[in-house]
Amino acid sequence: MFIMRFTERAYVNYTEEDVRKSFRNSVRLTFPNTYFNPELGADLYNEYLDEYEFSEEAGFDGLMRNEHHNTPTCMGAAMNLEAAILARITKKSKIVLLGNPLPIFDNPIRLAEELAEIDMISRGRLVSGFVRGTGIESWATNTNPVHNRERFEEAHDLIIKTWTTPGPFRWEGKHYQFRVVNPFERPLQRPHPQIWIPGVGSPETLEWCARHHYPYIYLETDPQVTVQMTELYNKAAAETGYEPGPQNFGYLWRIHVQDTDEKAYEVGKGFLTGNAGVGRVPMPGDFMAPAGYNSREGSKRILEQYKHALKPDALYGGVDAAGWDAVVESNRVVVGSPKTVIRKIREGLQVLRPGILGVWTNDGTISHGDTMRCLELMKQEVIPALREMGKEFDLPGPFEQAP
Amino acid sequence: MATTEYRQDTISVGGAKIGYLKGGRGRPLVALHSVEGNLGWLRCYDELARNFTVYVPTHPGFAGSERPEWLESFHDLSRFYLWILQELELERAALIGHFVGGWLAAEIAVMSPRTVEHMVLVDAAGVRPKSSEITDIFLHGTEGARRLSFFDTKQVADYELLFGRKPSPEEREAHVINREAATRYCWKPYMHDPSLPALLPRLRGIPTLVVWGREDKIAPLECGELYRKAIAGARLEVIDRCGHFPHLERPDDFTRIVMQFLAG
Repeated sequence: MFIMRFTERAYVNYTEEDVRKSFRNSVRLTFPNTYFNPELGADLYNEYLDEYEFSEEAGFDGLMRNEHHNTPTCMGAAMNLEAAILARITKKSKIVLLGNPLPIFDNPIRLAEELAEIDMISRGRLVSGFVRGTGIESWATNTNPVHNRERFEEAHDLIIKTWTTPGPFRWEGKHYQFRVVNPFERPLQRPHPQIWIPGVGSPETLEWCARHHYPYIYLETDPQVTVQMTELYNKAAAETGYEPGPQNFGYLWRIHVQDTDEKAYEVGKGFLTGNAGVGRVPMPGDFMAPAGYNSREGSKRILEQYKHALKPDALYGGVDAAGWDAVVESNRVVVGSPKTVIRKIREGLQVLRPGILGVWTNDGTISHGDTMRCLELMKQEVIPALREMGKEFDLPGPFEQAP
Repeated sequence: MATTEYRQDTISVGGAKIGYLKGGRGRPLVALHSVEGNLGWLRCYDELARNFTVYVPTHPGFAGSERPEWLESFHDLSRFYLWILQELELERAALIGHFVGGWLAAEIAVMSPRTVEHMVLVDAAGVRPKSSEITDIFLHGTEGARRLSFFDTKQVADYELLFGRKPSPEEREAHVINREAATRYCWKPYMHDPSLPALLPRLRGIPTLVVWGREDKIAPLECGELYRKAIAGARLEVIDRCGHFPHLERPDDFTRIVMQFLAG
């Protein structure tokens, strides 16, 4: 089992009231950037890098990052820059980017160049994930959401070709046209870095991934829905002519460990100010998914899948609405002492069976000090136990068995 | 509600089925809708239909008309509209367009001035104002944009019917389709064509009326003034205590102004 560590790198120096008095009560996209203090930001970036460095020492196979724009909930607008730093200051762990939002790039060749440099500088440790990006990314870059999927697929095809076909060549596509594709910067890994795709279950994406043999990383999705989505992937894989295994699936899970259950329960509350922002003020739906972003067929299928999950206390995609006790009880976020956490993860792994486990160790107001303690306990107790579980449940990761 | 008989029909244009309404008698007048899609036979069409054969097409990609796969940009849309007019056998017609429909009318006219007999631009998009902004209706969302659209919703006789009541599942679906179409054509550059102002002087031979709600919070009055200044002989009529939809909010003043202009 491939075990990677994640945090969104949140900035939390604002209040719920600040969000509620801003345009459409949205913490993303339009929440004024005057709330961001670069002096605090400088400290945070360096702390987050310290945590990632220590994560390698703690024994994580992978260091996972993501990218978002126009939001305090994730400071990784230039994720590739952060990856480049890790490429130099770490030596062993994979650098897992989940992922570059392809549609927002008008120049996918530049992206191919950057990722190639990261792969070379890291000596072949890049995992190059690609995403469609949330609607926010489209708004922030003025990319037409109607073309989101088309641009995702075309940019992907262009990047793969750039990495694998000798240049110079021409590309005259619908959204991208380049007449002299010939970057000297080519990835070290052959044929190219592994590509993993994270998401919350768009059926079209799942099927596309299966056809490409790309591992799909579920982002803390409802376990029942996750199992259903896996069936979709498996079906598409069978139609493509292969049988997928755990190495084709990942699951991202918020897991925070402290010395005692009580401490972990208290500290873990900090997660609630992370992804959904301080105050967890619901965002306008058309910010996350503007008109045209989802195909109508896709929207219907997603709604079908999540029907059972759309109850008041259900946790669609994350901890956006429920109270902390409900969240902890449902194990959608795992908090506890090492022993408790190991037990809860064991229960989950038996159902979900991922070959890739994303351990989201901290976010929101969880302090740097508490995070470092969590990582230390991971190192001493949790990761060794997870390695055993991976063997016991036969969950090969994609570097043990090709997806 | 409607006193004029009109019929609903479709016509095939370049392989796409285009829906339209048609009613009245006289020279042809084509009414071009905006981002809300085809709102059906509006009261103001009754007045116009006394002296004109009124066509109310649904733009390709909006609920009621297919979009040919290749049709992506606003330029694609306006070029395709010349084809629609051709298939409807309208060699020459008066055009009246609201907001995005007004932008469309202006694009059709600069490409093919001989096609346009009279032009009425109602709170039209298409030109970028210099000291104000066209409100980002997508960013505000449907509810937000609606709140900005009217000076006083009590002036809108059919407000409840058109905007107020809970939509049926079909109407909700149509709304999604319409939002997607508007996003496809108007996203970037937002709601305007950078080249259009330079081409507008070409329209000096076409009698042009620009109508604006003074309190329009979506399309600023500055855009109306830009249109008037660019087209020699154009007239700008501003209706007071009126927002983005003069034809709905101040229908009597609106139709009087437009009918007078079309008669001249």
